[in-house]
Amino acid sequence: MISVTPKALSADASKLDLTKLTSEQTALDIKGLNLHYGKKQALQDITMSIPKGQVTAFIGPSGCGKSTLLRCINRMNDLVDGCHISGEINLHGKNIYGKHVDVASLRRKVGMVFQRPNPFPKSIYENVVYGLRIAGENNRRVLDDAVEKSLRSAALWNEVKDRLHESALGLSGGQQQRLVIARAVAIEPEVLLLDEPTSALDPISTLTIEELINDLKKQFTVVIVTHNMQQAARVSDQTAFMYMGDLIEYSDTNTLFTTPMKKQTEDYITGRYG
Amino acid sequence: MDNLQVGRHISGQFNEDLERVINNVMHMGGLVEKQLTDALTAVHDFDEVLAQEVLNNDYQINAYEVSIDDECTRIIAKRQPAAGDLRLIMAIVKTIADLERIGDEAEKIAKVALESFSSQQQDLLVNLENLGRSVVEFLHLTLDAFTRMDLDAAVKIHQMDDKINREYEALMRQLMTYMMEDPRAIPQVMTVIWSARALERIGDRCQNMCEYIIYFVKGKVVRHTTAEAVKKLTS
Amino acid sequence: MNTWFKSGSPWIWLSAGGVSISLISVLGLLWLIASKGLSYFWPSELYQFDMIDEQGNNSVVIGEIYDREQIPVSQLAHLDLKLAKDQEVLERLLVKTGNRELVSLDFRWILSTNITKTTTPKDLAVVERRTNGNFYGFIDSLVLDGQPVDIAKLPELLERVEQFQAEIEDLQKVDIGAINYQLESLRLQSKSLTLKGELTVDKQQEIDTETQALKDEYQTLEQQLMALRDKISRDHLIMRAMDGQLVTINFEHILQVNFNNQLGFFDKFTLFLSQIAAFIIDDPREANTEGGVFPAIFGTVLMVLLMTVIVSPFGVVAAIYLHEYAGKNALTRLLRIAVINLAGVPSIVYGVFGLGFFVYMVGGSLDQLFYPEALPSPTFGTPGVLWSAITLAILTLPVVIVSTEEGLSRIPSAMRHGSLALGATKAETLWRIILPIASPAIMTGIILAIARAAGEVAPLMLVGVVKMAPNLPLDGNFPFLHLDRKFMHLGFHIYDVGFQSPNVEAARPLVYATALLLVTIIVALNMTAVSIRNKLRERYKMLEH
Repeated sequence: MISVTPKALSADASKLDLTKLTSEQTALDIKGLNLHYGKKQALQDITMSIPKGQVTAFIGPSGCGKSTLLRCINRMNDLVDGCHISGEINLHGKNIYGKHVDVASLRRKVGMVFQRPNPFPKSIYENVVYGLRIAGENNRRVLDDAVEKSLRSAALWNEVKDRLHESALGLSGGQQQRLVIARAVAIEPEVLLLDEPTSALDPISTLTIEELINDLKKQFTVVIVTHNMQQAARVSDQTAFMYMGDLIEYSDTNTLFTTPMKKQTEDYITGRYG
Repeated sequence: MDNLQVGRHISGQFNEDLERVINNVMHMGGLVEKQLTDALTAVHDFDEVLAQEVLNNDYQINAYEVSIDDECTRIIAKRQPAAGDLRLIMAIVKTIADLERIGDEAEKIAKVALESFSSQQQDLLVNLENLGRSVVEFLHLTLDAFTRMDLDAAVKIHQMDDKINREYEALMRQLMTYMMEDPRAIPQVMTVIWSARALERIGDRCQNMCEYIIYFVKGKVVRHTTAEAVKKLTS
Repeated sequence: MNTWFKSGSPWIWLSAGGVSISLISVLGLLWLIASKGLSYFWPSELYQFDMIDEQGNNSVVIGEIYDREQIPVSQLAHLDLKLAKDQEVLERLLVKTGNRELVSLDFRWILSTNITKTTTPKDLAVVERRTNGNFYGFIDSLVLDGQPVDIAKLPELLERVEQFQAEIEDLQKVDIGAINYQLESLRLQSKSLTLKGELTVDKQQEIDTETQALKDEYQTLEQQLMALRDKISRDHLIMRAMDGQLVTINFEHILQVNFNNQLGFFDKFTLFLSQIAAFIIDDPREANTEGGVFPAIFGTVLMVLLMTVIVSPFGVVAAIYLHEYAGKNALTRLLRIAVINLAGVPSIVYGVFGLGFFVYMVGGSLDQLFYPEALPSPTFGTPGVLWSAITLAILTLPVVIVSTEEGLSRIPSAMRHGSLALGATKAETLWRIILPIASPAIMTGIILAIARAAGEVAPLMLVGVVKMAPNLPLDGNFPFLHLDRKFMHLGFHIYDVGFQSPNVEAARPLVYATALLLVTIIVALNMTAVSIRNKLRERYKMLEH
């Protein structure tokens, strides 16, 4: 006799209470984050916990600050002139905006993939091992293993294994983006940030990447920014809706896309005027 | 249509699609209500012509169900509705299934009018009248609440099913007595029992429709819960 | 008409016209210097003109026709010519007659009316000599060791002479040169020891013995040299000039003897090519008006390469600082404007600066610090190839900076971010990603710098170029590359030969030939750089979305 408990039938089996994550469950803990570009405030008092080993999506209209928030997590905003940040982002209970934080080693722990595929004009192999070489790894065998492992986890190995030493610029857009993901994965970060990773790709490549994201969350905590709500609904476990620099609603994806609590969220995801 | 807010989508085409589906549901509801009223009238007046008409008109309801179903499928495929829109479509798909079944029940009732009852036995049918009136009212209120997607009304009329169930049980006891008194009348009583049963089922389906309204407005599934849990929603 | 204007075709015509004019002028320039320059090497016909002058005297003129000119009769009225009444113009010929020991001028104008007969005798010979220019005439006889021999032995003899000459040159330049260099080093060594007060008797003796040994060696070599010279100078060629005079030419001085009138087209072409080759690989003779230009080619190329080696790293580093590190403020903008304006400063100003700052200040200090033993004769405190290269490097620095910065700003920021996001620091990103991608732009800057530097003459006259440099800046004596030496430059060579030489008429074709060579060298340098750049561009081309 097969016993089926109602719990196993529910897709919400792993549902977490996002307000009460234990420290083992938390990958990133953002507290009271404010960000100004010059005098303009781009993020207002963002507080949220991003759970470990899951996919968290940021959605919202253009200019709502979702990419800005993502770039705060690996301090890419440091490169912007006149950008001022207050508040905390804790990784392992340590504030990444605290004193004596080595930004380069932070970025090794928090990898990032950008909107447009940006492979370096080097061979596929050299692209993948770039981060390792920067970290001082030059042992040929270690690099070879890392290339195969990363390309496999980016679902690209079978397509490129015979031309590892050809230029990465000869790959198609979708392959390039997966290469960039492999490059980020090669340094084995804890968190992987994806900034609209499929916005420049065709629908089939998009699906490949989405499938990949689903595999990646077994090893990494993934945070993704996307314009495409269906994509957020498909790939993410948690979704945060942002609007005009505010975090409006943050809950598990199943709830947010069926019964959002806030009217602004409802209007946005059903495509109504705000 | 306060809670519907169909008209505020950025996509005008989506607005039109949704409005058309809702209008079709309204028409279908009106048609079902008319069928039920006609069926009950035919039973009451032994109007065979009217009864026949009810039987003939059922195909329209079926046709409505098929076309609305189709349209909902198209909307899901093309618009990928989310949140409120998604719940609306789900509620509509389920509502039309129930409406179609109500149509079938009305057909069953109309068939009673075509059977031969002796004048003495016609008294039996009078007992159906009260229950019929209640059910028609319940259906009317439900459709009304659906039109406005009125949560308060839905929660309130959700309770009407209890009243109908009580009336049904009372009627059943009465009909049992008839059967014991006069076993020869058992076939006719059985016919009446089937009609009463049909009316009771209509009440259940109206209650389902109220639950869909609640699901649409609140996003909560209240099926298989207690009346208290439903009541809590409005507070 | 209106619609014609609106259609835009006037603009197409206008722009096409602009392109054609530039194309025509470039091709015209190349054609002019190529035709004038190359014709210098083509063996021309040798003529014998039988002449009669106004006084009825007969004479013979032998030579090559250099130029023809139509002149109006009125200009020649004073000559009292007997002419047909209606004749208004006369032709006169410029003939190169050579034979400098007989007549002081190489060239001579003759009027066509005075010519009674023009012939091209087959046995007319032109003798190319080391000194005194060409000799035109007939071979009278050949004297070997004081004995007359058959004229048919001439080619054999010439070959023998050539061998001896090569041996002599070898001895002079390589062996004796090395000994001289060593002697000079020893002298400087002893002087430097004296200056330091460390010159002991032992050391002095050591140096003296070495010097003596070298001097002995020198003596032996000199004797060998004399012996070789003797061998050649025993032989003579006796030529009959146009006026019948017999002239003895020592074989020591003979380079070539050619019977131009006997040569077919193919022979002439072979001779033409060998003349060009000689022009490129030989040293100049006769105050630069004859011989080759090898030292000038060598000097030009070496100086340009040195300049490139100096300017590239500095320009690139400066551009990187300006673009990547300097704050985006008024000071940076001011700096950038200053750099751009530097490109507009007249080059002679850089020459003055180079002389004042590098040669006298920096060079003078270097001499006092490192070469006190050679003073008062300066080592680096005098114009030289190093200072020329550095001066031109400063001159071309703005070009490299501007184009490198241009290249840096064209790199998509996604590249930088991609690298930074992988944990690279800014410096690592620059070194591993940005610079390789910017390399085509850097190469463009270097190409422009080379083009500008190779054509620059004015500043070089102040900081290192000379009319005649005794030694190349690169030779077999340690440390092989002598950056303190003066050098020759093709651009200056043109100026010198064309305007400063005692024999301007003779030098004119040489000016064109040298100009052609200069253009060829600049084009070759540029093409090399362009092909490197194109390879780099090919590698990074997909980036340009």
